[in-house]
Amino acid sequence: MDFRGIHDRLLAVAAPGLLGHDLPRPSNPADKKDKGRAGDPFVWVEPALLPAFLEVCRDDPRLAFEILVDLSAVDPSKDDPNMWVVVQLLSLSFRHRLAVKCTLPKASAALPTSTPVYRAAQWHERECAEMFGITFSGHPDPRNILLPEDWVGTPLRKDYVFPDEYHGISCK
Amino acid sequence: MVESKTVESKTVETRVDPHGPAQKNEREFMLDVRTQDLEVNMGPQHPATHGVMRILVRADGEICTGAQPHLGYLHRCAEKIGENVEWLQYLPYTDRYDYLAAMNNNLGYSMAVEKLMGIEIPRRALMIRTLCAELNRIGSHLIAFGTYGLDIGAFTPFLYMFREREWMMALFEKICGARLTYSYIRIGGVFNDAPPGWLSEVERFCDTFEEKWQEYVDLLMVNHIFVQRTANIGVISKAMALDFGLTGPMLRASGVDWDLRRDMPYELYAEIWKSGCFAIPLGTGERGTLGDCWDRSYVRVMEMIESIKIVRWCLGAIEPGPVIADIPKTLRVPTGEAYVGIENPRGELGHYVVSDGGKIAIRCRVRGPSFTNLAVLEELMPGVLIADTIAIIGSTDIVVGETDR
Repeated sequence: MDFRGIHDRLLAVAAPGLLGHDLPRPSNPADKKDKGRAGDPFVWVEPALLPAFLEVCRDDPRLAFEILVDLSAVDPSKDDPNMWVVVQLLSLSFRHRLAVKCTLPKASAALPTSTPVYRAAQWHERECAEMFGITFSGHPDPRNILLPEDWVGTPLRKDYVFPDEYHGISCK
Repeated sequence: MVESKTVESKTVETRVDPHGPAQKNEREFMLDVRTQDLEVNMGPQHPATHGVMRILVRADGEICTGAQPHLGYLHRCAEKIGENVEWLQYLPYTDRYDYLAAMNNNLGYSMAVEKLMGIEIPRRALMIRTLCAELNRIGSHLIAFGTYGLDIGAFTPFLYMFREREWMMALFEKICGARLTYSYIRIGGVFNDAPPGWLSEVERFCDTFEEKWQEYVDLLMVNHIFVQRTANIGVISKAMALDFGLTGPMLRASGVDWDLRRDMPYELYAEIWKSGCFAIPLGTGERGTLGDCWDRSYVRVMEMIESIKIVRWCLGAIEPGPVIADIPKTLRVPTGEAYVGIENPRGELGHYVVSDGGKIAIRCRVRGPSFTNLAVLEELMPGVLIADTIAIIGSTDIVVGETDR
């Protein structure tokens, strides 16, 4: 199925939390500021309902997203009060992909864990949590995965300040 | 004897018996042995962890009751670097995550940027890219298979496989000057054309390799000791493989017929698949259970010979022409985001890039197959013998450079 077909199906089964979609579009020659958007289409989903949404994606016989390929976050800019969580799904039966995006406020970045739906999400969420400071409530093992347990700060946020030293090791 | 039985009966109750109640005599014998849980650090510098990784193994006598991988010893902030250097400058960093298959990493990143930019790649460049990616797959599987033998005690095959891999690396050195970190596949094509006589040397490599490949199969794959150590060990069912998001040989060994080269073709793979020159090997459960360690090795070994067929197809179809599209020195990538997944030797290597139209990416996410494939360890380890933990870790074929990035 192409993206339009997937989106129609999501509407037909009333997937919980579906907010809308975003398609790539060419630039507008009349408006110089409008540069358009390249790349892949994706759907917007409400963060609190992400696990429920993923469950529908996995179990619906015509969507059948068997694999959660990736779960990560994006901090678009220093000035933006929000950041995104992005999930990449893959269906082996129908050979299609879907990108799912949620907007989270940076000040209180929290959403429920998707680990009960896809076990693959467990490690990706741990990485996401330490790198972006997102709380995945209900996560079975919320330790740091790549960073040391006592690391200060969330490195992949745009406002991250690099430390001067770590346990006596100079980072300059 | 009776006395010790009564003393130790409390601790014995909780142990996991891998043989089940069927072998009653053995279990009765084990009741006499004083046991206690022991936590052992495997790593960070253990030869069987294939890099700097630590696995905290909890052992009850000879039986592993739990394992917890601790990663991050090789974390080099690849994703953060991606947000601080220009698009073209990031390419050499991609070599460093899966250093055994650097061509594939270059390819994945280049394809993600090309997707955003909408660049058309010259046909000769596509040929060379496919050819190099497949040659690199052979090299990577040689290491995977060779070191796997080494892990479980077969030293000699490892040296034979390094002999062939050395030739493969010499070929890459001739085409791009580097033996491990190539940065040869660029955004828009490849760095330069193959030197004169290179393609005929690749053909000679293919001829020799096909001969030697049979040796590996005879030497290790069907070796009785190897089969005994790997068959029925670390069985991953189909459902478990999908739940954990396994990809590549790990997924195919569990009997799931999925290969991005065929099912979501990129580069020239649609054309190659149509020509019918290669097949997708799957786990069969021939020597044990479907999805065991032997099946994972089997898939990798069979993939090597399929890759040779793809290389031969490229050699037959290659035509003269330009090898890189006309791209500026400083790239300005259009606003947008793209995800590209390619079939790396270890599974799906995903690059998720986000651009705001500037010279530098605002996000450069790398989805490494080793990272997800490793997560299954926590589930596989409880209940196996200590000796089998090594067999299981080896069969996942991880590269720690990629799990940690």
